[in-house]
Amino acid sequence: MKQTIFVIVEHFAGQIKPVTHELVTCAKRLQLITGSAIKAVILDAHPAMLAREMADTWGLEVTAARIPQLTGYNGEIYKSVLADLLRDLKTAYVCTAHSSQGMDFAPALAVELNAACITGVEDILEVENQTCFARSIFGAKAVAHVRPEKDVSILTIQPGMFRPQKPEIAVPGSVTHRSFNCESLKTRSRGIKQAEADMTGITEAAVIVSAGQGLGDKENLDLIYQLAALFTKSAVAGSRIVCDLGWLEYRCQVGVTGATVSPKLYIACGISGAVQHAMGMRNSEYIVAINKDPAAAIFQVADICIVEDLTSFIPAFIKVYEKTKSDGL
Amino acid sequence: MKILVCIKQVCESESPIQIDDHGRWIQTDVITGYQMNRLDEFAVEEAVLLKEAYPGSSIDAISIGPERSAEVIKRAIGMGADHGVHMLTESEGYLNPFTIASGIADYARDKHYTLILTGVMSEDQMQGQVGPMIAACLSLPWATAVIRQQMAPDTKSVFVEREIEGGSRDTLQLQLPAVLTIQSGINTPRYPSLSNLLRANKQKLETFQAGDSTQPQLRENVVRVAYPEKSRSGTVLTGTQHEKATRLLSMLREKALLQ
Repeated sequence: MKQTIFVIVEHFAGQIKPVTHELVTCAKRLQLITGSAIKAVILDAHPAMLAREMADTWGLEVTAARIPQLTGYNGEIYKSVLADLLRDLKTAYVCTAHSSQGMDFAPALAVELNAACITGVEDILEVENQTCFARSIFGAKAVAHVRPEKDVSILTIQPGMFRPQKPEIAVPGSVTHRSFNCESLKTRSRGIKQAEADMTGITEAAVIVSAGQGLGDKENLDLIYQLAALFTKSAVAGSRIVCDLGWLEYRCQVGVTGATVSPKLYIACGISGAVQHAMGMRNSEYIVAINKDPAAAIFQVADICIVEDLTSFIPAFIKVYEKTKSDGL
Repeated sequence: MKILVCIKQVCESESPIQIDDHGRWIQTDVITGYQMNRLDEFAVEEAVLLKEAYPGSSIDAISIGPERSAEVIKRAIGMGADHGVHMLTESEGYLNPFTIASGIADYARDKHYTLILTGVMSEDQMQGQVGPMIAACLSLPWATAVIRQQMAPDTKSVFVEREIEGGSRDTLQLQLPAVLTIQSGINTPRYPSLSNLLRANKQKLETFQAGDSTQPQLRENVVRVAYPEKSRSGTVLTGTQHEKATRLLSMLREKALLQ
């Protein structure tokens, strides 16, 4: 049976977010397998302009859902409006971003639609002639291939995994306007608080030395600073756990919920390399990983893998460096 | 205030992960140990902080899993939960998030909880589905990745800030009862106290078989498990520590990354 692939447009402050283009790319990959039509859905108080932009850019048929009560994102509204729009479908894939929005409403929408829900999709593959979705499990030490057992599947697509293609010159698609009234809400949006933390320190550094839970003790941060001091234009950063523990400030955090960095050199020290962290640093030019666990996922994204305890390796490295300096190279 | 906190037992993050011979799941016998999902610790702590702020409150801690999961329920009691609920499963394998969520929702349905809390996701499966699914099953409002909450019992609502991209925060007011998934860093989870742990060991958990008659139909299934592919060359340096350090130094100098 022909399926429809729906792309839920993610947008913020009047702009279509770049991840939406990755969703379309992912939908096009799915289309190659299923032969289905791709449609886009956009929810907003004033969706017309962005709906037109989506239809023109990608040549897609777009449903513009106008909801006067919607200011920004609201999980309850997304769930109920999308459930209304999709309820009558026999079969469908729904592609939304594995973002703070998609992760929030996708599981609830799946319950509402009796659908399968697969979050954090990194790849599409076929296993025994059936379409499956790959997602990382166990701190990215393994990958699960998950098969939907329902005719409707809600997918949240991991940003950064489907490189957006340039849209071909497309015949502009049509826009269908729908209106929804969402009153008596249990969830009231009260606006966005902008980030207070200034992350320019790490986003502008040429070299980042980054610490993870493998640091073991706050006192070992000294080693990270010593290593960073060998480089010019360097900065010290950390994984979320290190910031949660209070060892570093949150403005030093690299990853999905922190900064996305792409320095010339990224040295990951004692970082396990779960997806949430890898997403923030995988576009670095050159990646060195130091971890005593040979199975650490960070080694999958590294150029140089060093299986050592950082507490003894970093001092050893600094010693070798200093010796070559005093020997005049 | 009545709070339900949903917790999961996961394998230690340092534990080796080996895929079984059939490539269907991981080998459970090589796992070195289990612990409470680190992200759920923040949910338990937030529940205990609320109980301290609102005297007369009570906390139920619930987990679904095999017998060994009782350990994390006891830990939650050690941290300050009053009552432990264990929905016992036979299987060591993959548990579908909808199965877990509908099991918890069934348990919670008639119990008049003011708040249902859980961690933002589990460290092992990293799906982040159970919280919003419980909310949908019970038709409750929800918020995910909550980094701050402020109860407003007078208006029967809770103000929350949820973490969104780039460290910004989305602020919401939810009508109670509500489901919150708690982001790490919202608080500093305490260690279980000795007196609470003694209580946890004496106290009987409410234990029953999970979903024997009402087992929901599987909505998705893990058909294969594989090791990840490398996205870069991943040259592994070999030799003694000194040799590795020397090699790294010369590689960094070749690339003009270090003088």
